[in-house]
Amino acid sequence: MLGKLDWSAIPFDQPIPLIAGAVVLVGILAVLAWVVVKGHLPYLWHEWITSVDHKRIGVMYILLASVMLLRGGSDAIMMRIQQAVAYQSQGYLPPEHYNQIFSAHGTIMIFFVAMPFVIGLMNLIVPLQLGVRDVAFPTLNSVGFWLTATGALLVNLSLVIGEFARTGWLAFPPLSELSYSPGVGVDYYAWSLQISGVGTLVAGINLVTTVLKLRTKGMNYLRMPMFCWTTLASNLLIVAAFPILTATLAMLLLDRYLGFHFFTNEAGGNVMMFMNLIWAWGHPEVYILVLPAFGIFSEVVSTFSGKALFGYRSMVLATMAICVISFMVWLHHFFTMGAGPDVNAIFGIASMIIAIPTGVKIYNWLFTMYGGRIRFETPMLWSIGFMVTFIIGGLTGVLVAVPPADFILHNSMFLVAHFHNVIIGGVLFGAFAGFEYWFPKAFGFRLNDRWGKLAFWFTFLGFYVTFIPLYVAGMLGMTRRMQHYDVAAWRPWMLVAAVGMAVLTIGVICQIMQLVVSIRNREALRDHTGDPWDGRSLEWATSSPPPVFNFAFNPDVRGEDAYWDLKAHAKQQSLQHDAPEYHDIEMPRNSPTGFVCAFFATVMGFALIWHIWWMVILGGIGAFATFVVFAWRDHDEYVIPAEEVAAIDRVNLEERRSLVSMAGTV
Amino acid sequence: MSDQAHMRTEHDLAPGEEEQHSVGTRILGYVVGLVLALLLTATSFFIAGTDLVWQPSIPVALIVLAIAQMGVHLVFFLHITTGPDNTNNVLALAFGLLVVFLVVGGTVWIMAHLNANMPAMDQIMPMRR
Repeated sequence: MLGKLDWSAIPFDQPIPLIAGAVVLVGILAVLAWVVVKGHLPYLWHEWITSVDHKRIGVMYILLASVMLLRGGSDAIMMRIQQAVAYQSQGYLPPEHYNQIFSAHGTIMIFFVAMPFVIGLMNLIVPLQLGVRDVAFPTLNSVGFWLTATGALLVNLSLVIGEFARTGWLAFPPLSELSYSPGVGVDYYAWSLQISGVGTLVAGINLVTTVLKLRTKGMNYLRMPMFCWTTLASNLLIVAAFPILTATLAMLLLDRYLGFHFFTNEAGGNVMMFMNLIWAWGHPEVYILVLPAFGIFSEVVSTFSGKALFGYRSMVLATMAICVISFMVWLHHFFTMGAGPDVNAIFGIASMIIAIPTGVKIYNWLFTMYGGRIRFETPMLWSIGFMVTFIIGGLTGVLVAVPPADFILHNSMFLVAHFHNVIIGGVLFGAFAGFEYWFPKAFGFRLNDRWGKLAFWFTFLGFYVTFIPLYVAGMLGMTRRMQHYDVAAWRPWMLVAAVGMAVLTIGVICQIMQLVVSIRNREALRDHTGDPWDGRSLEWATSSPPPVFNFAFNPDVRGEDAYWDLKAHAKQQSLQHDAPEYHDIEMPRNSPTGFVCAFFATVMGFALIWHIWWMVILGGIGAFATFVVFAWRDHDEYVIPAEEVAAIDRVNLEERRSLVSMAGTV
Repeated sequence: MSDQAHMRTEHDLAPGEEEQHSVGTRILGYVVGLVLALLLTATSFFIAGTDLVWQPSIPVALIVLAIAQMGVHLVFFLHITTGPDNTNNVLALAFGLLVVFLVVGGTVWIMAHLNANMPAMDQIMPMRR
């Protein structure tokens, strides 16, 4: 009846996951109770859960990423403490638990923190920057988000019901095959990634179509803001690469469920094929994450230097070059697999070549800053911190791209330090820069400056104190994923790294404090202009938060830095618009399709993990029925009457006019 | 979103959106495509079993016919043309082909070299006891 599921699935003998699970459960129930008692449930359902508004979906993506960042961060803290204490002892985490923690940490941080964070920012900002009212497929967008949330939910469920994979974040066979991992851990891993992978693919298709097909009048390709370009490149990579992940995991699941032999040791299976395929997805994935961050830095650096981006066209070229070359380097993740000097040399050289367009970008940012009047606001601090940190990470990356060096450094702590150096320094700093930069746009008030800067400095310093020691430990021969060790020379570095982790934690606390303080003082921090940073692109041309239709009129774009141009013209002519003629606007209706679909996907995923076949069928039928109901809908749009548009837009125009006239007098 | 929909038809076409042709022309296009596809399929089956041509050339011929089949599908059913309204589709197709070529070609190349650091089988065999 319930497949493999029984009471032994609950880890009553392990206090840590059980207590953590109980605390989270109590927290969720408390929030739910508060929502229901206060009567916020209808609001939540109508305005958020069923929303197909790209801004709302973007915010929900970022919320999901932030919550999962805390989960992944807790895993990181536990690992650092374990390695600090487990010198010639077992530490406080038993091996099977420690293995689950490092696997969950990697899986969560890549798939459920970095991915939703950048996809959320792209969702929130790209349609605004393109000057359009919505994304290409609004309901599909909602489905994509909720499927991602399903994946995150399943991963967290594994904490309390059953176990998570003990195989590392990519579940390499033969360890992940049934004979070596008979439990449900790998199944939790694979099914949550399969489901959230569909969500990511859907988001990718949606954003590619949006950038290619929905641009406002005059917004041709070479006038798009840099963030739109990197969004295009990143989502092209999603569309091209994620099917490889899905196919690879599907083959692993066939091995585990139906006795196939794709990656088994016996019967003609080949584990090397799994490494090859998973990294054919895995390397583009790195650029899927970091390209949007590059776009964010381009926007931030140009805005806070008060200058147009230096070398815009070279930046576009570099972005698209990275997009293509990222598919030519995947072997550098397994130089040691034995492909021989010819293959290794070619892929090593390709890996070094991809550093060139990245270098072009760094120089472009530096030259944008050169001669500019730089304002050191929080987003700018994150961007400068990124440039310093990412260059170090890039240099160690070029080092491990040399096959002979890689043979020594492969799977050492040096590698761990390297990829944290580029992912934290690149993606996470970028996500935080975008968060600080666009928060006023999303919510209509600024974030507290003091706490923001404290958060930056603690995170920045904490990063170095944590990860530079790991480079050293790697040089001293320490391999990754060690539950305990006996080498005295590594000990001091592990202790320093644990101290660094404490500093990083203070950074996270500052980040939370910043949110709390800002929300409490939101009236004082309110931004009436819609343009708090003196921005250059179209998202600043509408009010903050933007109305549901984004723009009363689709803006007319005449050059790069569209909004900067508009402002310059307005100042020159001290332009006072006549009252424009408003029209009705049609917007897509909200739809519970995404939420209901994800509900059934969760049921199906859980049932597949535990081999509860009747429930699999139920979930499958439910998800399909939801799709059919949506396909047969009668009304998919509603009309916002011209008067309402006028009323909303007049307020925005008033604010803006007073701003322009003030600027005119200066 | 009516003004956007309008804008779209002005500039270029989304995949699946047809230009306003008469029904007759469109049906003719599909019929030509169907006939060509059937012809190519029939030829493939015929060649696979025949001994009229030089045997080693058969696999090559099948590959050529398969590629022609893909071309027919792209042109007549998926409406990939060289017109200016179709640049996105052509570029997307080219990018897709490039990625498939890189991943499949790279995989074959990598997997064929995996034993580069291993001694040959006749050297391993004597080592076994």
